[in-house]
Amino acid sequence: MERSKQKQMSQNENETDAAINGHFDGRAKVPGWSAGGAAGTPSTVPSSSVMESWREERTRSLEDNEMSLPSIAAAYTTILRGLGEDPQRQGLLKTPWRAATAMQFFTKGYQEKIIDVLNDAIFDEDHDEMVIVKDIDMFSMCEHHLVPIFGRVHIGYLPNKRVLGLSKLARIVEIYSRRLQVQERLTKQIAVAITEALQPAGVGVVIEATHMCMVMRGVQKMNSKTVTSTMLGVFREDPKTRDEFLSLIRS
Amino acid sequence: MEYQKAAELNSMGKGKIVTEYLCRNGFSELTVDSKKVSVQHKNDTSRKETEEESPLPALEAAYTTILRGLGENTDRQGLLKTPLRAAKAMQFLTKGYHETIYDVLNDAIFDENHEELVIVKDIDMFSLCEHHLVPFFGKVHIGYLPSKKVVGLSKLARIVEIYSRRLQVQERLTKQIAMAISEALQPVGVAVVIEAAHMCMVMRGVQKMNSRTVTSAMLGVFREDPKAREEFLALTKGAQ
Repeated sequence: MERSKQKQMSQNENETDAAINGHFDGRAKVPGWSAGGAAGTPSTVPSSSVMESWREERTRSLEDNEMSLPSIAAAYTTILRGLGEDPQRQGLLKTPWRAATAMQFFTKGYQEKIIDVLNDAIFDEDHDEMVIVKDIDMFSMCEHHLVPIFGRVHIGYLPNKRVLGLSKLARIVEIYSRRLQVQERLTKQIAVAITEALQPAGVGVVIEATHMCMVMRGVQKMNSKTVTSTMLGVFREDPKTRDEFLSLIRS
Repeated sequence: MEYQKAAELNSMGKGKIVTEYLCRNGFSELTVDSKKVSVQHKNDTSRKETEEESPLPALEAAYTTILRGLGENTDRQGLLKTPLRAAKAMQFLTKGYHETIYDVLNDAIFDENHEELVIVKDIDMFSLCEHHLVPFFGKVHIGYLPSKKVVGLSKLARIVEIYSRRLQVQERLTKQIAMAISEALQPVGVAVVIEAAHMCMVMRGVQKMNSRTVTSAMLGVFREDPKAREEFLALTKGAQ
């Protein structure tokens, strides 16, 4: 796995600073997806460094998971000892393996590709009114403390003759949230993925989440929530559209 | 007795893990043997005194291995100091091992002529599942019927903190809290109810978002007298 990462690194041009979420920066040339490539909506695709080639994202496979499980489990055994626990007591005997498998599950977004999830469920519909899927439960891991983040995602988009299967929006959320994340980046990745897939007139994504790193430790504020949003296309430019979206997700 | 032997081992700086093991498993008995339990509590974590070398570098290295094993790039900006932060976070989340009931309660027990139910409810609790190392959190409701001795109210919450900031199983946590109060105050009865959400069930596995686990420990009059138990349960059901 190390070798494949290095190969990817050499493919990427001159990137010394590294990957976002284990993937390599979208500044690499990818066929068919330059910023102006989308038909009719060049302004909706941001050229920020968050944008990545959504067709070629997988950095982990099931074999990688199996091969790395023993070393992750050994690391957890070290952690248990370092905390002063006895890894041989009954309750903790299989904990390193369970914790390692759990952690691989919490980062299974690295194993999945948007293109697999979306490829079939884009339909041509003559619909150009807002479509919203809200209250999508989201669970992620804080990349700074390795502690859970959980909350809700609300997604709205204004289709441009193409609509997406509704569950696919939730699947996009799953792919990007099951990673080591920062809430701001997660919001943007979801919005950019929908934009690249559908080329809609606009996309709005709002995430409201509780960060265990703030609740269980540190400042310990039980009721605090973090809200981030990304508005692309007509949601960014037209305040009335944005208002409609925001009021519909509040209701 | 095994606990005294554990005490000796502990003071020599060896066998601290043995002490922990004995302490934790000592809670399988239902009756409260106050002398045994108090010795346990004093030994509970003298780890702080005996452990001079910090385990932090080993924890950091372990976290770096985990990040690499998950396929992440540990040199990217967001992950550069993550092993250190995660190690410190984990130490904070298991800081209950370093604290003893003895320190927390020693001063705040008062003689009051009060023989009615005292309840402290909706105490936020955060703990770590010992099977998956994933948080579980919820609320603890504690009630006790004093027998001439009452305890400072925040001390009940501190007892919850000590036992919850560990690798726990919800059943054991409930019992440990009840036994600690029992041993410290010798009240007529103690009742502890915990309602928690387990992230190991919500974020992974069966993935049931709204499931809650409720456990209770009833000691003394709360176990024997159904009316006392009913009163406690009715009073704690109020502001869920």
